[in-house]
Amino acid sequence: MWDIDARSVRESCEKFLYTEAQLLDDRDLLEWHETIITDDIEYRIPIRTTKERSAETEFSDESFHMIEDWGSLKVRVERMENDFAWSEDPPSRNRRFVSNVRVTDENPENAEVSIRSNLLIHRLRASDTDPDLLSAERRDTLRRVDGSWQLTERTVLLDHTVIGTPSLSIIL
Amino acid sequence: MAQNRSGGTGGSRSSIDSKLERMADALEEGEALLEILHDDEVFERELEEIFAKSWVYIGHESEIPEEGDYRQRSIGKDPFIFVRDENGEVQVLWDSCRHRGTKLCRAEKGNTTHFRCPYHGWTYRNTGELVGVPQKGNGFPDLDMEEKGLHGAPNVESYNGLVFASLDPDAPDLETYLGPSAWYLDLYFKLADMEVIGDPHRWEIDTDWKTPSENFYGDNYHVPMGHKSAIDVGIGSATAKGEKESELYAISDVGGHAFSIYQIPGEDFFWGHPPEVTETFHPERLTDEQYQIARQSGVSLGTIFPNLSFIYLGGSDDPEKDTVGTFCLRQWQPIEPGKMEAWNWIMAPKDAPQEYKDRVYEVGVGTFSLSGNFEVDDIGIWDGIPEAADSVFAEQVNATTVFSMGRGEDTLAEVDDSWPGPGTVYREGGMTDENQLEFYRKWHQTISEAH
Ligand code: FES
Ligand SMILES: [Fe+2]
Repeated sequence: MWDIDARSVRESCEKFLYTEAQLLDDRDLLEWHETIITDDIEYRIPIRTTKERSAETEFSDESFHMIEDWGSLKVRVERMENDFAWSEDPPSRNRRFVSNVRVTDENPENAEVSIRSNLLIHRLRASDTDPDLLSAERRDTLRRVDGSWQLTERTVLLDHTVIGTPSLSIIL
Repeated sequence: MAQNRSGGTGGSRSSIDSKLERMADALEEGEALLEILHDDEVFERELEEIFAKSWVYIGHESEIPEEGDYRQRSIGKDPFIFVRDENGEVQVLWDSCRHRGTKLCRAEKGNTTHFRCPYHGWTYRNTGELVGVPQKGNGFPDLDMEEKGLHGAPNVESYNGLVFASLDPDAPDLETYLGPSAWYLDLYFKLADMEVIGDPHRWEIDTDWKTPSENFYGDNYHVPMGHKSAIDVGIGSATAKGEKESELYAISDVGGHAFSIYQIPGEDFFWGHPPEVTETFHPERLTDEQYQIARQSGVSLGTIFPNLSFIYLGGSDDPEKDTVGTFCLRQWQPIEPGKMEAWNWIMAPKDAPQEYKDRVYEVGVGTFSLSGNFEVDDIGIWDGIPEAADSVFAEQVNATTVFSMGRGEDTLAEVDDSWPGPGTVYREGGMTDENQLEFYRKWHQTISEAH
């Protein structure tokens, strides 16, 4: 039904996330933009605040570290490729660890699956020995397009309220 | 770090007093001392003499609209609770239980009628009043409850929704502190009622808090180089992209604070707001002179000493989409020498349509935030300063930073006597450092005052 080259939907989604992580780690941003996301993508990183346990959620529904669509992501990717993008020149070295991939919903009718995964980004600049770490759960919706998965919705749920890296000039 | 406080030479670090003296000499020459951007003693003195004496920004009233709403805030590094009490009054309470000192407020925000201490259960109303002491009769029959309410900041005042506090009991009132700056703040906070959208961005940056404060005083010289990548992709303001003819004015001598304003002659520009937004404005709250400046305003920015900055710009996060007027309010919080935490609140005119406010938010994120296409490059540059400032060699060569742009024969910037507002105002404001010198003069004066 899914036309996938894998033992399970989960495994095929996992492969997709690994491919994506490779592109981002290698800073193939234009290719990421061209091949990984759909043109109706919704991409967001909501701001988290520490709240009492009784609160329903710690995540804001109106404030974000990134709130993007295809066009604004294109701007970011193009800017990062610019020779005057100081925050990434020399570039930070980022390694994404993607794990705990689980399928939370399958919707063959519109060729979409919902997945969750854990993400750890290990980030080093220059001669740093202490990495900046970013830890998050990602909630993604993937869509089957021409026999491949594409990312059509992503919410990055950070574990951080105060972000311990000086600038988010990378894609999570 | 072991420091030689004797003020000696020969490679050992000199005392703060010697640094302040050398800073005074540097200022005479239109320069500042690099060492102060990463120094333990300077940092301690700043907490005591600047953050504990100035009027420091706490938050906007729109962040705590309902009775009982609270937010954690800080003055320098001291923890405070910004709360709207049961009478609707705004309080700024020191977050420390009067019993054994622990912090009462463990959430960044919430709503409560009382703060109850988790240690022994002392309970305070959101006015700060102590109303509950378990076993009081059996244990503390003589405890004066009225005496033991939470300590509040000695001075709390609001200016058009912006709440400031001063820990100095002898502080002048806020109006005096802001002085002629209020004439300019009115353009941003009085012409329209502004509100904060959601929660602030918070992130740590390895640079001293003074660097961005000074930058927002008016370092317009860095824009073509520092922000070239963002301008190249087409998301800058109409003035930065050269689509609109404009004149940049640098405004200082307004109580130790400073502003920069681009003016687009003859246009109803209003920082890029469209007519459906500007018609919700209140021109009657401004003088005619103020209104004319507001009307022709492109990008505007500034800093209220010590660490509250803002930038107001018409821009977009995507050249394919309409430009909107986005407002980012900033606080540069000291964390340790050479390190700070940035707080960024995105604001919009309260009476603008919701869809428009959503776009204001998105554009704020895409330009000036932790991920902002402009901001990230500032930070990538600023974080190179503290390492150099901490150098032993910095003292040996008496390393200074240069703020003499605009001085001397035939420089471009010139005082504009026809400007209708207060202060000393330069045309070609991107070609003078007088604003940034104002920051360092105010810094030097404030930190030296008690000594
Ligand atoms: S420390 Fe707060 S009740 Fe004891
Ligand atoms: Fe900048």
